[in-house]
Amino acid sequence: MFAWLTPDEWEAVRLSLRVAGLSVLCGLPLAVLAALAIARGRFPGRALLDAAVHLPLVLPPVVVGWGLLMLLGVRGPVGALLQDWFGVRLVFTTGGAALATGVMAFPLMVRAVRLSLEGVDTKLEAAARTLGAGRLDRFLTVTLPLMAPGILSGAVVAFAAGLGEFGAVITFASSIPGQTQTLPLAIYAATQVPGGETTAAKLSLVSFTLAILGLLLSDLVGRRMLRLLGR
Amino acid sequence: MRRRSLLLAGLLAPASALAQAPGATVMAAASLTDALRELGQAWAAKGHSAPRFVFAASSALARQVEQGAPADIFMSADEPWADYLQERNLLLPGTRVSPLGNRLVLIAPADQPGDVVLAPGVDLLARLGPTGRIATGDPASVPVGKYAQAALTKLGVWDRVQPRLARAENVRAALLLVERGEAPLGIVYATDAAASPGVRVVGTFPEDSHPPITYPFAILARSDRPEVRALFAFLTGPEAVPVYRRLGFSVRP
Repeated sequence: MFAWLTPDEWEAVRLSLRVAGLSVLCGLPLAVLAALAIARGRFPGRALLDAAVHLPLVLPPVVVGWGLLMLLGVRGPVGALLQDWFGVRLVFTTGGAALATGVMAFPLMVRAVRLSLEGVDTKLEAAARTLGAGRLDRFLTVTLPLMAPGILSGAVVAFAAGLGEFGAVITFASSIPGQTQTLPLAIYAATQVPGGETTAAKLSLVSFTLAILGLLLSDLVGRRMLRLLGR
Repeated sequence: MRRRSLLLAGLLAPASALAQAPGATVMAAASLTDALRELGQAWAAKGHSAPRFVFAASSALARQVEQGAPADIFMSADEPWADYLQERNLLLPGTRVSPLGNRLVLIAPADQPGDVVLAPGVDLLARLGPTGRIATGDPASVPVGKYAQAALTKLGVWDRVQPRLARAENVRAALLLVERGEAPLGIVYATDAAASPGVRVVGTFPEDSHPPITYPFAILARSDRPEVRALFAFLTGPEAVPVYRRLGFSVRP
């Protein structure tokens, strides 16, 4: 089985896993904050925040990648600051690929977190409040554990979706083998070369398998955790 | 009776819109974008249906035509991709011509000073610094990347430069990377460099360092129709020559 893929192909698979993992790890805390703000916040511009969070879901991925390039490239407003203050460049790097993937998967994470938040029984939170628990205490000990199945299952779906991100990554981070050439980019490169059909087919099969496993795992995690919480 | 005939008339009305034949579909190399857009407008101004253009790397287009994409005219940036289609009997025999030529140049963002003499053994890495990359098309398939690999190999620096490449999907994507300052250097066609105010040419590759850059144009085998032949004659004829020349292409007499 392991001799079935060449070292370069394994590199693309490992890079995909790394990029998707990084994107979910960094995106999840932000998604929880965003979901809290949208679901429970009461401030002007809340609807705008909701719309902005969902933009990557409806915009063409290349547009998202291009937008990131304009904003976070070395000549962009944020990118210039990143380079001057921290010496950080994102284009052509694994970090950049993870950022592009994370932005595209962000709406998925926010929706999953928000759904789990709305499923939390507010009477339990109110009961905790009458027992003297402060806001942070209530959130960490009552709300968050009740949200956990939804958050985890959403994270796994976002991970599986991140494995397949193409347009935003190739536009923002470019296709550099070993750095940013994730599985979808490697499959695309293989389809452009005459005789690359075998490589493309092999990698597509791996991509398909990872996607199916991801979706099944997400379902499993969700159900296990619900059972743990006694539901 | 009157209502039924009105309904019938209403249903048949859109058919009149189909009376004018839809424009031909032209699949062309990305470097021809500006020239063909202008020529397409000129063609439409003469009263013909405006042609539809699909611009991408010649490799991507050839693969799509091979898979059955409904194109009428194919315009590639190198001969091998036209050969690829010809071998598969996808080109209309007798229509293939190569009227245009181009030059390969090294570019940098417009505000970076200093030129580079592209002689054997040239030290491009010095200009890149520790993390910089050279943007060009993917040498495995995109024509500009293949020309770049040939030129860098001839100059004896391919092995050193190869790990520092940023492989773009097509020549215009490589151009964008240099324009935005993401890549300190890029290898594109002279016509692309001329079209972009954000980059400047810092060196021109010697003509003998790569195969001559020629653009084969052909009608596709399934598209032998009068309006396609007319458009093709226009795009390869004397009226189009001034447009190509103005944008920097060399035109065979």
